[in-house]
Parts: sequence; C-alpha cells; structure tokens
Amino acid sequence: MQIQPAKFCPGCGHPIVLLMLKKVLEEKGLLKKAVLGLDIGCSLLGWNFLPIHTFQTHHGRVTPTMLGFKRAKKDMLCFGLSGDGGAYAIGWQSLFHAARRDEPVTVIVVNNTVYGMTGGQVGPTGIKDLSVKPVCGPELLRDVVNEKAYLARTAVNDPKQMQEFLSKAIDAQLNGHFSLIEFLSFCPTNWKTKGIETTQYLDERLRTVFKVGEI
Amino acid sequence: MTTKILIAGDGGQGVQTIAEIIGQAVFQNGKFVSIIPNYGLEQRGGVSLSYLKISDEKIVYPKFQTPDVLVLLSEQANSRTEAYQKKGVKIFYAKNYQELLSKEGLSPISLNLFFLGFLTQFLGEKILKVKEVEKLLSAKFSQKPNWPQNLKVFKIGLKVN
Amino acid sequence: MQACHDAGAKMMYGYPITPSSEILENWQKTKGKCLQTEDEIAAGFAVAGGALAGEKVFSATSGPGHILMQDAMVMAEAMRIPMVLIVAQRGGPSSGTVIYSQQEVTLACYGGNGEGFRLVYSPASLEELYTLTRRAFNEAWQYRLPAVVLTDGYALKAQGIFTKPKIQKKNIGAKSLFGTAEPVHVPNIFATEEELNTKLKEIQGDYCKAKSKVETYYEVGLKEAEVLVIAHGTVGASAEAAVLKLRKENKKVGLFRPVTLRPFPSARLNKVVSTKKWKKIVIIESSYGQLARLVHDELKVKNLPEILYLQKPGLGIEPEEIEDYIKKIK
Repeated sequence: MQIQPAKFCPGCGHPIVLLMLKKVLEEKGLLKKAVLGLDIGCSLLGWNFLPIHTFQTHHGRVTPTMLGFKRAKKDMLCFGLSGDGGAYAIGWQSLFHAARRDEPVTVIVVNNTVYGMTGGQVGPTGIKDLSVKPVCGPELLRDVVNEKAYLARTAVNDPKQMQEFLSKAIDAQLNGHFSLIEFLSFCPTNWKTKGIETTQYLDERLRTVFKVGEI
Repeated sequence: MTTKILIAGDGGQGVQTIAEIIGQAVFQNGKFVSIIPNYGLEQRGGVSLSYLKISDEKIVYPKFQTPDVLVLLSEQANSRTEAYQKKGVKIFYAKNYQELLSKEGLSPISLNLFFLGFLTQFLGEKILKVKEVEKLLSAKFSQKPNWPQNLKVFKIGLKVN
Repeated sequence: MQACHDAGAKMMYGYPITPSSEILENWQKTKGKCLQTEDEIAAGFAVAGGALAGEKVFSATSGPGHILMQDAMVMAEAMRIPMVLIVAQRGGPSSGTVIYSQQEVTLACYGGNGEGFRLVYSPASLEELYTLTRRAFNEAWQYRLPAVVLTDGYALKAQGIFTKPKIQKKNIGAKSLFGTAEPVHVPNIFATEEELNTKLKEIQGDYCKAKSKVETYYEVGLKEAEVLVIAHGTVGASAEAAVLKLRKENKKVGLFRPVTLRPFPSARLNKVVSTKKWKKIVIIESSYGQLARLVHDELKVKNLPEILYLQKPGLGIEPEEIEDYIKKIK
C-alpha cells in the first residue's frame, strides 16, 4: 500500500509558511539543496508536501536532528519545522543550546498558541491567561546567540514580510549562523473561529502580545 | 603463575598513578597484566581501589575475590577492604611505615610512591624491572615540583625488607 | 574508541556520564569531530541526523543517559537509521552505581516503544570490544538498523594487553538517503494502522534476513559437558575462566555464550540444548534475570532440564564464585 501524505486543516497557517519557503528557495535557486525536518504535531503534515527532501523526527527533537544533519552535510540547507509546543516547551532546551552554540540551521516556528493536533490544549505561547507570561522565543534567545544570528517574528497574513525574513534567515545559514523565524499563524479548527474571525483573532490578539519584526 | 594485587587508598592519594606505573612496567617485562580501577562518587575524598592481575597467561577476567597482596594507604581504605583481609593475604598497611617515613623527614603525601618502591622490590625482577619503574616514574614526575623528595621516597620503599 | 575510528566514524555526540565519559574526552582529544550536547536526548538525535545525512556517527552513554537515548533509538528503528551507540552498563535502576552491572540488557534490546529492531553486541574481552564495535558500524550501515555495543564499566575501565585484531573485511560505506536529485520523504508516523503494519512487516522481513548473518555465539567444552552454563559479556568471560578451570579438574561443564543478544543466536542455542540430556542449565548474570528472559524467549525445546539461576544484580561475578556454585550442584 502506498503511503499517502495527510492534509492540513482548511485555513491552517502551515501550508502558507511552507509554500512561501518553497518560493524563496526557488528564487534563490536553492530548492535542490534544501532538506526539511519535521516535528511531530501539525508540522508532521509537512511531510511530502513540498518537492524538497523531508523527514519526520520526534516531538521537540527536530533542532538537534537538523544540527546533526548539517554538521554531516554542510552543503545542504537545513530547516527544522516546529510548532510553538515543539519549539518552546518540550524542545526548548535543545533549541536554546543549539542557538547558543550558533548551529547553522534555520528553525521555523509556527506559533498558533495551541497544541493543534491533540485538540487545542494551551501551549507555552498561550494568551488566554496572561498572568503566566507566554514564551517569546526570539526575544529570549537574543541574549545568548551570536550577534550575526538572525531572529525574527512575522505573521502568515504578511506575505511580503515573510518573504523578506525567510530570505535573510537563509542568508544567515549560508554565512554559517543560526536563524529562527516565528510565524504567528492561524488555527481556525482549535480557535473555533470562522472566516474573517480567524484573521481578526491573529491581528487583534496575537499581534498585541507578540511583536513582529526583526529581533 | 598469577599474582593479584589490590591497592587501596583515599581518592587523591595517587593509587591509580602507581597502579598504572606498575602495570606498564609489568607489560614492558613481557607479562600479561590487567588493571581495573574502582572508586566512589566523590571527586576527592572517597575510596580509590586498583585491582592488578599479573600473569604468564592471557587474563580472561580482571577482577578477583582474594588478592595475594593488599596495600592500604589509609584508614578509610582499611575499613573498605575488610572483606579482602582473609587468611593468607599479605597485608601492608601505611600506618606501620609512618615512623620510618617521618624519621627520614618525608611527608605522608608521598605514601603512594613509597609503596611503589616497596611493591617493585617485593614483586621482584621476574615480574618487573626496577630500571623500568624508575624510567616511568621519572617520565611522570621529574618535571613536577619536589622531584628529589619523590625519588627519595621511592628509593626508601625499594630498600624496605 | 579506536574501533570507532577504524570503522570510519567521523563524529561523536555525547554527554558526560560515568563510566563512559572517557570515550567522549579521548575522542575529542585524539580522534575527530565531537560535540558535547546539553543532554543525551540531543546527542541521540544529532547522531540520527548525522547518520541520515550519510556520515558514520556514534555516541556513548550509560544508565540514565541510555534511557534518554531510547527516544532517538526508536526513531532509528522506524526510519532505518544506522546509529551506533556504545553503552557502558552501570548499576540500576535509577542512578544505581557508576561502576558496573548487566542491568541494561532489556533496555538495549527492547527499549522504547518498538519491537526491538536493533543489533546488540555483548563483548567479553578487549579484543571483542574492538571487533564487535567494528561489526556494529558495518552491520548497522549494511542492514540499516541501529546498533548497540553493550559493554560495562569494568570492561571499559580495564587496561590490559591488547593486540589489535586484523579485520579482513573492508568497511561498508556510509550513504545518505538524500543524495538524490528526486526528493526523498521519510516518515515515522502513519495515518492508518494498515500503513504502519505494512511498514513493520517490511522491517521485520529485513531483520530476519539479517539475523542469520549477524547472530553470533561462542562455545567451550560442550561435547563432554553435563552442566550447561549460559552467560554473556564480562560475566561470560568470568564463566569461561571458571569452566576451563573446572574442566582441568575433570568436571563436566561447558559454556554457551551469546555474542549478539539481538538477534539472539537462537538456532544454535536450541540445537545445543536439544542435542543431549543436560543435567542442569545454569544462567549466570549481574542482573535479576534480564539474560534469562532472553534465553527463555528463544528456547523452543520441550522437556527442558532443571534451570538454575545465579543472579547478582550490580555485582561482579568472579570465576571462583562460579566454580563454587557449579561444584555445589547435585
């Protein structure tokens, strides 16, 4: 039986990020050199979605896997795709130390503030109860990374900014430095929003807590 | 012919150092030798043991229940190795040589080198050559401070009956 | 460490843990590229990443670190990643001792949430530590399965005379899955039970094909023996010394020593056990039955003789102890 790739929910931000990644790689002529590691969560659905090498890893373990891959094959462009839970909760330790060591990989964090695949539990970037501070990954990492490392946050409804930041992140990797971009993203399935409500939720709620821009 | 030596002391007294030198010298002399260290968890202050097996034949298993010779460098080592202090085991306790060392004006810190000389003489030329031990000792310690005193302690150990 | 180098390993990832830290320190000083990660989880996944990229990489760990490595090991089982792990067994469970045991057999063979599609080697001497580590790399890359060299704190710390065995076989080359122009996609999660089952059947098929080539055993004194001793690793060496001494005293005892625990040399074990009427079988190990469990799993013989167990979890077992035990058997 052939293994079939599964599908993203309608309105999900993941495919927006992935397709933008493909666009930027194509424009730079680097599509064939890319390899994408996937966390286990909604990120895993990115397997076999793009015409680049992909493989799944374990929840929270995509960063150490990609740094191992990169150290073995420096001529390939290594990307690790993760959600906010995989990057900032279970995977925070290895992300922190890889960033601190300036591992030349690019970590893509799709932040929708929830654990999507398991039904919407609050993640480390949850904004419902702000008495517990949400993890602002790029800001926290700025203190420990090399000054040439590239850290930024954008949103899936800003294609121009996504394109610009992805391009710079790739350049950082080509120059031998760590890069991370957090994408504020949609999850209408777990946000229980419809149509325009989804974009509104991102613009009115997420953007006020998480600042976009280069960090 | 197999000889089993257990050296025990406090961590930091240099048990492993002299075990290594003896092991190397035995090897240079053409015999089979195995060394297994055994120590406690602390970096300093715990007990440090070394099991040395010397044989004319290939050594299949490096540890042993009953040593032929037990060398104790401290009180702690003495209590730790009670189970090994059976009838027939030749025990050499640092306590019994304290007087000799202080008479010569030598510090207890070099107890291990005293016993290195002691064991070298005790084991005999068939097992390891004095010259080889001296060479290894020099290689390890001659560039460090207090070399003349260290060499002196070793030589005193060599002469003890 | 020398074996890893001779096998063509280029990189080591690790985290300091007694009694395997010396491998990390010495590799760093003398052999090659090395990275000390923030924990064994990261080390395990970095090894997996390097192997996916087509480089021979390995790690070394013990006890609590060995547990953390299972996360990456099961990923390697699922995705056919040739990661190599040197495990120095120490006392367990929990932090146990930093010294020695044979209590990580179950973990090495069947740890994690999988079916144990791994190659596990149990060396009983310095020579075997070398040759089996060389084999671990070759066979991991040839059959695309994770491999464990399961040694212990005594063996790793022991110094002795060692003549490097000559290995005739050339090293198997490392290949990346991703060197092709066409994109390659490797999953470890499936949408349906059937997809997973299909994948598992495929891995099982390959594992069985590898089994007859990989399984290894060592025997001594079986022809005249009436008592059969089964032991592995360092205890296997101790048992051999005991058996040889007892045979000199005309005692009828022999030793069957599995050299690979996965795949277990079951065909040979069953042949040995069924070929004669043994008085007793004695399974000896420094654990409460982790080897015995493997043996019972593989023994398919009806009408077994009485089986005795000499079990000393976390303790070394000297040849003299084994001799005394065998002598006391009626």
